[in-house]
Amino acid sequence: MASAPPFIRIEGLGKTYLMGDRRLEVLRGIDLEIARGEFVALTGPSGAGKSTFLHLLGTLDLPTRGRVLFDGEDVFERGEEELADFRNATVGFVFQSHHLLPEFTALENVMMPALIRRVARAEARRRAAEVLGLVGLSDRLDHRPGELSGGEQQRVALARALCLEPRLLLADEPTGNLDPATAEGIHALLGELNARLGITAVVVTHNERLAASLPRRLRLSRGRLE
Amino acid sequence: MIGRPEGERGGDEGAGPGSAPPPASTDAPPPASRDEGAGHPAPPVFSLRAFVLVTLGLFGGVAAAPVAEIFFADRLGLPDAAATGLAAVAAFVLSALLGAVAAWAARRLCFYEIAAASLLWSAAVAGTVAFLPGMRAGSAALQSLEAQGTLVLVLGLLGAGFLSATAGFVGATLAYLAVGTGRFDPSLSYELFVARSHLKLDARTLVSLFGLVVTGLLPGLLALLVWSHVRDVRERRAYRRGELYRRARMPATLLMTLISIAGVALGVWALTVVLSVMSGFEADLKRKILGQTAHGMVLTYGQDDFTEWRSVRERVLAVPGVAGATPFLYNEVMLSSGQNLTGAILKGVDTATVGTVIDLPRNIEEGKLEWLERPAEIPLPARGADGAEPPAPGARALPGVVVGRELARQLRVFVGDQVNVVSPFGDLGPAGPQPKSRPFRVAAIFFSGMFEYDSKFAYLSLAEAQRFFATGDTVTGLELKVDDVDAARSVVGRVAFELGGWPFRGKDWGELNRSLFSALQMEKVVMAVILGFIVLVASFLILATLVMLVLEKTREIAVLKSMGAGVPSVMKVFVLEGLIIGAVGTAFGLILGLGSCVLVDKVGIPLDPEVYYISNLPVLIEPAQFALVALAAMVIAYVATIYPATKAARLRPVDGLRSE
Repeated sequence: MASAPPFIRIEGLGKTYLMGDRRLEVLRGIDLEIARGEFVALTGPSGAGKSTFLHLLGTLDLPTRGRVLFDGEDVFERGEEELADFRNATVGFVFQSHHLLPEFTALENVMMPALIRRVARAEARRRAAEVLGLVGLSDRLDHRPGELSGGEQQRVALARALCLEPRLLLADEPTGNLDPATAEGIHALLGELNARLGITAVVVTHNERLAASLPRRLRLSRGRLE
Repeated sequence: MIGRPEGERGGDEGAGPGSAPPPASTDAPPPASRDEGAGHPAPPVFSLRAFVLVTLGLFGGVAAAPVAEIFFADRLGLPDAAATGLAAVAAFVLSALLGAVAAWAARRLCFYEIAAASLLWSAAVAGTVAFLPGMRAGSAALQSLEAQGTLVLVLGLLGAGFLSATAGFVGATLAYLAVGTGRFDPSLSYELFVARSHLKLDARTLVSLFGLVVTGLLPGLLALLVWSHVRDVRERRAYRRGELYRRARMPATLLMTLISIAGVALGVWALTVVLSVMSGFEADLKRKILGQTAHGMVLTYGQDDFTEWRSVRERVLAVPGVAGATPFLYNEVMLSSGQNLTGAILKGVDTATVGTVIDLPRNIEEGKLEWLERPAEIPLPARGADGAEPPAPGARALPGVVVGRELARQLRVFVGDQVNVVSPFGDLGPAGPQPKSRPFRVAAIFFSGMFEYDSKFAYLSLAEAQRFFATGDTVTGLELKVDDVDAARSVVGRVAFELGGWPFRGKDWGELNRSLFSALQMEKVVMAVILGFIVLVASFLILATLVMLVLEKTREIAVLKSMGAGVPSVMKVFVLEGLIIGAVGTAFGLILGLGSCVLVDKVGIPLDPEVYYISNLPVLIEPAQFALVALAAMVIAYVATIYPATKAARLRPVDGLRSE
């Protein structure tokens, strides 16, 4: 092993849900290391536990067993508030259905993580506008999500994830609801961001072409990595 | 019912019994019975440290109130109302501060701790009542409560504990919102931003709602009906012509929000108007009482004769704060005229100075007060005697008496008519003391507006009274008028001090009419509590609205949490929403209440003066009272937000994201 701990190290990660009396074992012990700056594709059939894995990686949920170490530190040892800070500072999420806040404009949506971190309004606005420029939406700042196309919405969601320059980008089928051409654009953008900003990215995808184009592919099946 | 949000996980080393299990090793296999998240230490359910602090706050707050009141009233010499208010504020602040410290130390909402402290308080109250004789001697505050009966004692103590617990809860939750993240973060910037977007309140909606509440709902609802009909017609026409028509729809949560605002507004409205009317009655009563009786009295102890009243009067007038002083002689007598007989209080007054103390000269309706001194000028009755005795031959020489309007009506006498005054303490006859009777003539009739006085009081000149009762040159005491009515107590105290105490003592009007004003005060408190229930019910509207909002915004909450919003942060969003609803409703209610009071005051609602002895519905607009109502409404609204807010904050991000 190298002297410095890997960026992410996952040890025996397991997640079991209790549905009534039935135990549903979604993840059955996953061991994995992800280095800084990697761009990982995660594929697998529906119900294989991809989303659950991503949620655990982003600390949106707590594992039943196992550990997730960032830079050698177990994140789940932290308290809830520390976890919230961790998500705010380190992780950026892109969800399949963009999950933008419908009452706010694109700019305000992108500002939100910065506002949660108590960045001053003007500074948050500046930064959000910059990131929106990065994803090519400089002319859509004051549009609400409902007034944007699917591809644009997903790019706003991406901009929101990137607003605070996270070290880890987690994307859960970001192009699942998009037509192939638009999806291609998003993929190119993801690749570019990974290359240019050095953000570690884990992308869950059904898109075989995207997966094939990425240097590292993982396949989840029945709660285990294949 | 209010749940504890997840506080700091496993960081609570100071917790006592019932605290967290030690952080479980994450490698250990999970117990199968646990749901997601099993294997991780849950935050403690109960923090002993916080419990001790909030209990101190609860008991301390209740104990501090009477102590502070004594301090403010007696040491600082503040008027009673101000002292009570300040004492309440001090007690509230004390409880809230200790609650805040508890929340800060344990980093939790302390709901269970406060509930436990309240139970402990109830047990203590039960103990106090059961063993009351033992406790009674110790506390003046307890004695005054006990004097009003056990029920009042129990309710009073429980109520005080409840208020103190509420104060502690407000303090604890506010502190948790501010420091729950582990650092001091009172900022509300984005929370307000999100809260406003949830409520969707704009100026137009609020103005319409205000109009709806002002018009008493009925005309407003009619207007709404007409408007929706017009809209339907337009929509149908547009449909026939094949045009596009977009119909604005009101989201359900906005409707709920508006209903909650209206509920709070109605409660605050009712509370302010009723309390203002009661204050009006009280002020009217006070004015009439103070018009007819003095602000204070100087009396002697026991049977001591008060003969040196002339020199004492000079000394009293020199005391700062005293505006006037007049001697009086007080006796209870019977008055008769023809077949009519009634008991009365007969006061001998100094006609020259009585006007400097009471309003008697200004309340004279018929006749003249001066005729007491010059009875020869009293005109003879113009009419034949129907009921009244015919004027005796030597009638012109009879001394004068002034009676109240109701008394004159009962005796069926007019100015100039003859009245017999009968005193039970007369000369000694063969069979012991004989009642003494002497005819007087009615010199004047007064109307004070207070039935009690108009039907019971009669006045003689001081000299005439001294002669009638054969007291020599003594008086019962001196009546005083002070510059500031509310400071009467301290001025009278100073007068007694200047006179060197014994044999003199002072009494102020509050003491003279204590039972009446404390009954009024009690009535007002009960009324405030009953009407406060309207606000309480309105707070349930807020609670329901917020629960609905939380359910509607589950996904949004999850997204905010995924972006790093912490528990206090999410709570703040919903607390703010509730506070906005409460504040808008309270503002509406205050405006409406103020408007109604001004309207009642200016236009006047006539009352039957025969029944109420007052011609118009009295209103007194007291700013402090309005402020108190507003504060109470806001506190209730705030407390109502805590449950939905914790519910929102406890949502797991995954739950919101999964439900699609």
